[in-house]
Amino acid sequence: MKKVIFLIITLFLAFTNHLKAQTGSGDFMRNIGMIYVVIGVIIIIFIGIIAFLINLDRKLTKLENQIKENE
Amino acid sequence: MRKNWWKILCVILLSWTFIAGLMVPMRPGVTSVTPYSAKVGDTIWLKADGYNTNWGGATKGKAWLHIDEFFKVEKAGKKMDSLNVFAIQSIDFKAINDQEVEFKFVIPQHLPLATKLENASLLVSVEGAEQALRPEAIAITQDSINAYRGKTFWNSKLDIHRQWHFEYPYRNILQETLRNTFFHVPMWFVMFTLFTIAIYHGIQYLRFRRRESDIKAVSFTQGGVLFGFLGLFTGGLWANYAWGQPFPLDIKIIMTYTALAIYLAYFILRGAFDDVEKKARISAVYSIFAFATLIPLLYVVPKLAPDSLHPGNGSNIAFGSQDLDNTMRLVFYPASLGWILLGVWIVTLVYRYKIIEEKLEMKMNG
Repeated sequence: MKKVIFLIITLFLAFTNHLKAQTGSGDFMRNIGMIYVVIGVIIIIFIGIIAFLINLDRKLTKLENQIKENE
Repeated sequence: MRKNWWKILCVILLSWTFIAGLMVPMRPGVTSVTPYSAKVGDTIWLKADGYNTNWGGATKGKAWLHIDEFFKVEKAGKKMDSLNVFAIQSIDFKAINDQEVEFKFVIPQHLPLATKLENASLLVSVEGAEQALRPEAIAITQDSINAYRGKTFWNSKLDIHRQWHFEYPYRNILQETLRNTFFHVPMWFVMFTLFTIAIYHGIQYLRFRRRESDIKAVSFTQGGVLFGFLGLFTGGLWANYAWGQPFPLDIKIIMTYTALAIYLAYFILRGAFDDVEKKARISAVYSIFAFATLIPLLYVVPKLAPDSLHPGNGSNIAFGSQDLDNTMRLVFYPASLGWILLGVWIVTLVYRYKIIEEKLEMKMNG
């Protein structure tokens, strides 16, 4: 799990660095009328909801295992 | 399928939110004007930097400096009539490229108002391009006051022709982050709706003592807290770029911390009891008090405060013609409903999980 998170963060950083080099501006977030702030906000909402759902998924798996044991 | 119509509606509304919220373009605007200030009697070349503009190669162009409320002019633009405001017209024009344009102004000897300093807004009208506005573009100072003579100089008629396009208004500082209106603001609507439904079920529990009511109340409170935190963090990111600081000491933000802390205490309180009956009863009573503080914290105190960064609080106006124009309304209202439906949807999943968990526990305990 930790390895996967590390990989995702590394990929994200590499990608943003690539974009930085492309636009040639120091402040990536302030490019194109600060559109990346909107993208960031959407990502925060997405991550928040997905994390909540993953947590729920795990709890459900536990319940399923309990039901299986009972049977 | 028939029972789940609102889930389909939720997906449709949120699809519309993402497509229209991200793809509808911004109206052209002026990001900055140089110089910032001038004296009466000066002859200046005023340079305007545009956003989303196509000024390059234009041969004809006019601009006005006008002393009036910016929003009055923008609103009138939709009706295509000319306005009677104090204005002077440019005498020369030069288009440098798509984003840069210069206008020559001769500032008259007197201002039309009895003040030493007045902010003038800029209205740029270049042939073949949409008109663009810059509120309080330049500060004009004068030493001797003669408003009567000033009025005879500042008598140019504004020629406003801004057709309604399916575009969002351009706002200084906000720029593209204006689109966050469809993502950050509905988070709070969802939170408030979920807390409202939670309190309803809390009261239902106190009246009829049904287990389901208590479970529903907990699930809705959980969902409300989730969306509250999403609203807080999205606001933090937005504020970092629009206000210069992720969590400024704004009255509304402080009140939000308090409200969320009160609702987090709800879960700590629930964790403190082992007896199911007692837990449900006390937390239902607590949630009534929590909700009773939520409304003044989020909707009354920030409005009474002398000043706030948030629109609609302190002395600011919200949700009038200034914040939401007709294009934004077409996206904002469906977006709010869509997010609320998504919140309720997530809560129903939590509720169904909790019901199964409860039944299983009862079975195992005999």
